[in-house]
Amino acid sequence: MAPPPHLSAPARAPTYALVGNPNCGKSTLFNALTGLKQKVGNYPGVTVEKKIGTTYSQHGQPITVIDLPGAYSLAARSPDEAVTRDVLLGRRSDTPPPDRILCIVDATNLERNLYLVHQILDLGRPVILVLNMMDLAAQAGLNVRVARLEKELGLPVIPCEAVTGKGLMELRLTMSRSDLPLARHAWNVPTPIAPAVSELASSLVEHDHKLPLTARAEALLLLTDQDSVRVAGSSPLSPRTTEILQGWQQRWAAEGTDWAGTLVNSRYDAIGELAAEVVQRVGVAGPSTSDRIDAVVTHPVWGWLVLGGVMTLLFVSIFTLAQGPMDWIGDHMAMLADGVKAQMPPGDLRGLITDGAIGGVGSIVTFLPQILILFCFIGLLESTGYMARAAFIMDRLMSRVGLNGKSFIPLLSSYACAIPGIMATRTIEDHKDRLVTILVAPLMSCSARLPVYLLMIAALLPGDLMPLGAKVGLMLLMYALGTLGAFGFAWFFKRTLLKGAPPMMIMELPPYRLPGLRDVALQMLERSWIFLRRAGTVILAISIVLWFLAAYPKAPDGATPTQQLAQSFAGQAGHLIEPVIRPLGFDWQIGIGLISSFAAREVFVSTLGVVFNAETTNDNTAPLRTALLAARWPDGRRLFTPLVCVTLMIFYVFAMQCMSTIAVVKRETNGWKWPLFQTLYMTGTAWILSFIFYQAGTALGF
Amino acid sequence: MSPQVQTLLALALVALAATGLVWRAIVRRNHPGCGHDCSCPASALRPPVKQPRRP
Repeated sequence: MAPPPHLSAPARAPTYALVGNPNCGKSTLFNALTGLKQKVGNYPGVTVEKKIGTTYSQHGQPITVIDLPGAYSLAARSPDEAVTRDVLLGRRSDTPPPDRILCIVDATNLERNLYLVHQILDLGRPVILVLNMMDLAAQAGLNVRVARLEKELGLPVIPCEAVTGKGLMELRLTMSRSDLPLARHAWNVPTPIAPAVSELASSLVEHDHKLPLTARAEALLLLTDQDSVRVAGSSPLSPRTTEILQGWQQRWAAEGTDWAGTLVNSRYDAIGELAAEVVQRVGVAGPSTSDRIDAVVTHPVWGWLVLGGVMTLLFVSIFTLAQGPMDWIGDHMAMLADGVKAQMPPGDLRGLITDGAIGGVGSIVTFLPQILILFCFIGLLESTGYMARAAFIMDRLMSRVGLNGKSFIPLLSSYACAIPGIMATRTIEDHKDRLVTILVAPLMSCSARLPVYLLMIAALLPGDLMPLGAKVGLMLLMYALGTLGAFGFAWFFKRTLLKGAPPMMIMELPPYRLPGLRDVALQMLERSWIFLRRAGTVILAISIVLWFLAAYPKAPDGATPTQQLAQSFAGQAGHLIEPVIRPLGFDWQIGIGLISSFAAREVFVSTLGVVFNAETTNDNTAPLRTALLAARWPDGRRLFTPLVCVTLMIFYVFAMQCMSTIAVVKRETNGWKWPLFQTLYMTGTAWILSFIFYQAGTALGF
Repeated sequence: MSPQVQTLLALALVALAATGLVWRAIVRRNHPGCGHDCSCPASALRPPVKQPRRP
């Protein structure tokens, strides 16, 4: 029976599934349509799970849009691709199949993108094809004949530039149509395969309760894909359908014929013919602007120099641009504390507010400008497409140490925070590769370490006495140390605990684009809100509890603040671990900071804020950096010597001090074995390296 | 405000903060993750998908 020429709109508002290849601008289009704040990534795998948003028709009716993970075809090779396939095939009970499909393709790579489109057209649902990056296609000398493509496929084709919003109006109007035509999808399945498709499709209708057109599409997929990747929530095939599938596969294997390959090739042939019809190359094809930039940026030598230059620029900006706002915040925090001291008589509540709340939270909030600059850079690099180039350069090094190429995204994410990095390892198919990546991801210096590094550098290189280059160099060194540590341990694990050959990775380099400033600004706003919320909740609560631990039990009257702190709960804990950390040059006060860091690394800064503010007796609050410089051992030696500061930074590069990360590793590895191992090897390495560095430095007279 | 009142109020605030942290730890036990503190996408905090298996 021929399908009806038009499918009427459902009674409720239609649900659209947004699908497309990775890097085709899918997330940008989703943002533009729904206004949801979502990270725009240039890499495959950013969208691990589906996202749902609402857009509005021309008449103001809400339209639901499901953003599905990027996929090159419905033949899933990873769990996130499997989610896309399962939603489209109606295999997921938690997500009804979409009424309509919004298929976005990269106009500069139309032929490759059409493979997924071709499979989707098999599903027999109304499809709107969005030709994104038309401007880049034109720049590359490609003329995509939109009307011809529309005619060939028999569906609406909307040229679009998702970044600038061009074509969105037309897209919304098309999405608002109450009836959308079904595609005139002409693809002749090779005759010898037709009976297998027919029998399998019939079984899918009868035993798996699939719609006839969906059943045919699924039959075609099953006969070519082996259906190897299944994820939780995916309805299994009925025994009868499995039996029929296996029967055909065995029959073909016995005959020695590769009908599955023939089926795939015939699809490619159909796509090739279509692409030849609709894509015209205008003028002489030469290297595009992106190609010319890539010749330098991905060069084996120049590429590393560019990467180093970008990182240097990042840290120079962090140190120079942030200094003014940081001083402003620090001064106002001190003024606030002094104001409270002036208004309230001495007592526990005053101490809690000034030394605990303001001292703890204030010392963290001071770093907000630097955190914002960091994420502004990350957003700009993602938005322009440079991150993919950085991945490409790093992949050479990663493959040498045995890391999976797909490990780059998790490791890169870990520079912001190890938790999303560990989550992102789900895109790595090989279990051992995934485990290695999880084990080394927390070694990448996360943003929580940044305040610790900055505080130590401020204590080590105070004021303008040292050139900016020394500060930037030291910061770069810490990031490089963490990265090299991660690669070194990955190399070690791949040759001992988790042996295995790294698989090849095909990486797509998206064309360079002007940065989406709106997305970058939104991301920065989101980060600052998250940072301040964390400072105002968790850090505040920890600072208050720490104040109590530093203030109780009370010392006898007449005791100095240092004596009070020494016999407090916190002081006792610090003294307890002092024998372990003294060989590293740390005293019991730093020990309090190290213990509290296990809640979160940046708590070290607020702890020092509480500990050293609690030690001051005057009514004027000194900045933490000044307080650290004044700190002394009982024998009068300076506590925060340059050697101790660098040793502390090395300790923080390697130590596993984040409960949230440990909890996530436990969940991702389904047990306590690997998080415990990770905590032990990282913290053990931190101690050993700090010990070697400090003892060597002391022996050399530093 | 007398020192005694200040002490009582301070200890009450400490108890409140400690309760909040314990409550947060319990919530984390059921839903481990950063609690959106690290800016990772919310969807990343959903229960993990099962590893691939052969049909």
